[in-house]
Amino acid sequence: MSLKQITLFASVALALCVPGQLSAHHAFGAEFDPNRPLILRGPVTKVEWVNPHAWIHLEITNDDGSKESWAVEGGTPNTLLRRGINKNSLVPGTLIIVDGYQSKDRSNRANGRDITFADGSKIFMGTSGTGAPEDGRDPKER
Amino acid sequence: MKREVLLKALLIGLLALSPQTLLAGQDQIPDLSGNYDIATLTPLERPRMFGENLYLSKEAAEKITADNARLISATSRDSDPNREAPPTGGDGSRGAAGNVGGYNFFWIDRGDDAFEIDGKFRTSIIYAPSDGRRKLTEAGTQKRRKRFAAFRPNKGQAWWLKTGGQGPYDDPELRGLGERCLLGFGSTSGPPMLPVLYNNVKRIVQTPDHVMILTEMVHDARIIRLNSQHLPTEIRRWMGDSIGHWEGDTLVVDTTNFGSRPGLGLASENLHVVERFKRTDDKTLLYSFTVEDPTVWAEPWSGEYPWPATEHSVYEYACHEGNYALGNILRGARLLEAEAEAGGS
Repeated sequence: MSLKQITLFASVALALCVPGQLSAHHAFGAEFDPNRPLILRGPVTKVEWVNPHAWIHLEITNDDGSKESWAVEGGTPNTLLRRGINKNSLVPGTLIIVDGYQSKDRSNRANGRDITFADGSKIFMGTSGTGAPEDGRDPKER
Repeated sequence: MKREVLLKALLIGLLALSPQTLLAGQDQIPDLSGNYDIATLTPLERPRMFGENLYLSKEAAEKITADNARLISATSRDSDPNREAPPTGGDGSRGAAGNVGGYNFFWIDRGDDAFEIDGKFRTSIIYAPSDGRRKLTEAGTQKRRKRFAAFRPNKGQAWWLKTGGQGPYDDPELRGLGERCLLGFGSTSGPPMLPVLYNNVKRIVQTPDHVMILTEMVHDARIIRLNSQHLPTEIRRWMGDSIGHWEGDTLVVDTTNFGSRPGLGLASENLHVVERFKRTDDKTLLYSFTVEDPTVWAEPWSGEYPWPATEHSVYEYACHEGNYALGNILRGARLLEAEAEAGGS
């Protein structure tokens, strides 16, 4: 096999790896509105560890001091369970940042396009084993 | 003399027994039961540049593994904690991500490498036709075209109002089987049972009369009746009607009686699948299959890939209970329609 073929096959394999290129439980494009981008910052209030997709709830504080509850959609929790991660790995009170787009039905729901701790690190990465936050408030304690 | 006749009769009797009866009589039917993680980076259809080449070099396979590990590592990197919201009008992502992006890579579990059979890596799961690609009939091509027509770039608008006729969100039953929690996407429950983006663990339970295969995604249990007849053709099922028998050490499963929308993309109610399960060592099954559906594909196609045993469990799925997305999608469509009719976007 030529180097070109190897590279091409790898690029095909990698193209298949990009989440956006793959079929999933449902098309996020059907559910979320590209004209309503969001960045949400606030403490986790609840984690719905459910299929087909998990939902992470958080509370945000608006500029005028008012509070709003939002829910962001993730993927299947089963994948994470197999890596030793469960709903208790993200405890209420943990500060998170989520960017995504609001649901087309204008409810306080969004896709969890990128879900991170307050320092920008991915919430479920590097938490293999029992590496849940010690008190859930300081991501540096992971 | 009498003894010779008896011996001859015994010999003839033994020869008349089929190998499977012999095996059954001696309880030597292989035990397929166990849990299997069928994830693989090898695609179903062969990338065109490989042509008729079924095999992948070891170097190429290693590169795929390394590139995949690099990709996971890259997607695991920290994001900017001071990042802004994504762009208005969409982030340009395609496919299921539909211009709004998918989700983080840590939700995904599609295996770490390409598979190998008899020490050789493969370029595709499909091995016949020899180019590893399926050929559509004219009707199959039209069906695919029609299906793609329902996908439009997501601009957050009720575009279907302008095309007339039935819109893709007019009825929940127009939505995909995965979206409705009826079958997992990508023919994960099959047949044929194919690897997908995540939830690739299968559980096989075997008895003398039945074999059950549990697919994690959307909790589908295939019940295969052994040494049985197919149900009457008017009885149709999401995963068809599966009957099986042993041919030596191989379980052969024949499935017909599908409904009008099988889990396998584009297939019709005329789908016919023959699968073979063979234990190749104490930790691996070889899964092979042949698919026929003359309304969609111009010729039958066959594939194979290993099912390695795993220590992981198959977890409950309970898809309907938490399926908020379907409601969000339909409510969203109604709201966009109302806005369009009011002269909005």
